[in-house]
Amino acid sequence: MNSNYQTSNNCNKQLARCYVPIQVMNRVYSSREALRRGTLFPELYRPYTPAEKERRGNYYG
Amino acid sequence: MWIYEKRLQYPVRVYSTNPTLAAMIIEQFGGADGELSAGIRYLSQRWSMPTGKAKALLTDIGTEELAHWEIIGTLVYKLTKDATIDEIKGTPFEAHYVNHGKGLHPHDASGVPWIAAYINTKGDPVADLHENMAAEEKARATYEWLINISDDPGVIDTLRFLREREVVHFQRFGEALRSVQEHMESKKYY
Amino acid sequence: MDRDQMDLLVEIMEEHFVVLETALYLDNQPDDQNALRLHNESSRRYHQLLEMYETRYGPLRNTSMSDYPWGYVDDPWPWDVDFTNY
Repeated sequence: MNSNYQTSNNCNKQLARCYVPIQVMNRVYSSREALRRGTLFPELYRPYTPAEKERRGNYYG
Repeated sequence: MWIYEKRLQYPVRVYSTNPTLAAMIIEQFGGADGELSAGIRYLSQRWSMPTGKAKALLTDIGTEELAHWEIIGTLVYKLTKDATIDEIKGTPFEAHYVNHGKGLHPHDASGVPWIAAYINTKGDPVADLHENMAAEEKARATYEWLINISDDPGVIDTLRFLREREVVHFQRFGEALRSVQEHMESKKYY
Repeated sequence: MDRDQMDLLVEIMEEHFVVLETALYLDNQPDDQNALRLHNESSRRYHQLLEMYETRYGPLRNTSMSDYPWGYVDDPWPWDVDFTNY
């Protein structure tokens, strides 16, 4: 059971540790687009959408 | 050593006079999860980071946060600079005004002044980087609450920019944590 | 501030932003050649733009040169620039 748990977790990763995936630079926005969006990297662009705003705005009443 | 460029990082637009909104935005000027906290926190932690990469990242993000502090101050300034006394009276900004006039003072939306207890340098790089990741998420959430209550499109646009920066900073601190963890692991075996 | 000056100022903001984003990326991944190439190209453009701006409109840094009298103290200060019509 323990060994299955290890492999399914794809691990050289340890318990009680935090792992953020490493970004690899690929495509980039133009300088104009980048400043407008707040990041050079499309994979890091995570806007606060109207739908989410609606949900969060109403969530706590 | 710090160099200052006499310009904002981002073209900040404010279309309205709104002391109430200014009194909320000031949360990111002098509040617990605001830009001043972020800047001082990261810049203070530099001395006890074990790698040049971590020192560089904390220096660079800490410096960027001070540029954001300047943007928040600018939002408050633009929202209040043309406000008449009648426009200020009866708003949350009145409490700020009786102490500070239209000047800028680091306190939060409730008027609580900034304090170093908002930040920590634990001197433990793994703990410090986790603190930073948490700080970025808290700042991101605060910007979402501020976007929810704002009605000025220029202010919202600026808040969106600042919020996206928190997402990117979280990623960078997460990557630094991986690197620092590996570094500390490798030092155990000699 | 006239349109030409504002255009140049925003261009500086845009180019600097690329320089900053690549710098933060490189702080974690100094060995990424693509990132370093983009950083250096952007850095060169950014410094050119900054020099161009300062030559035309006066110093943005207290380390820069100035015509007489010392222009660094002049308006506008960053929080007074009005971008609403930009």
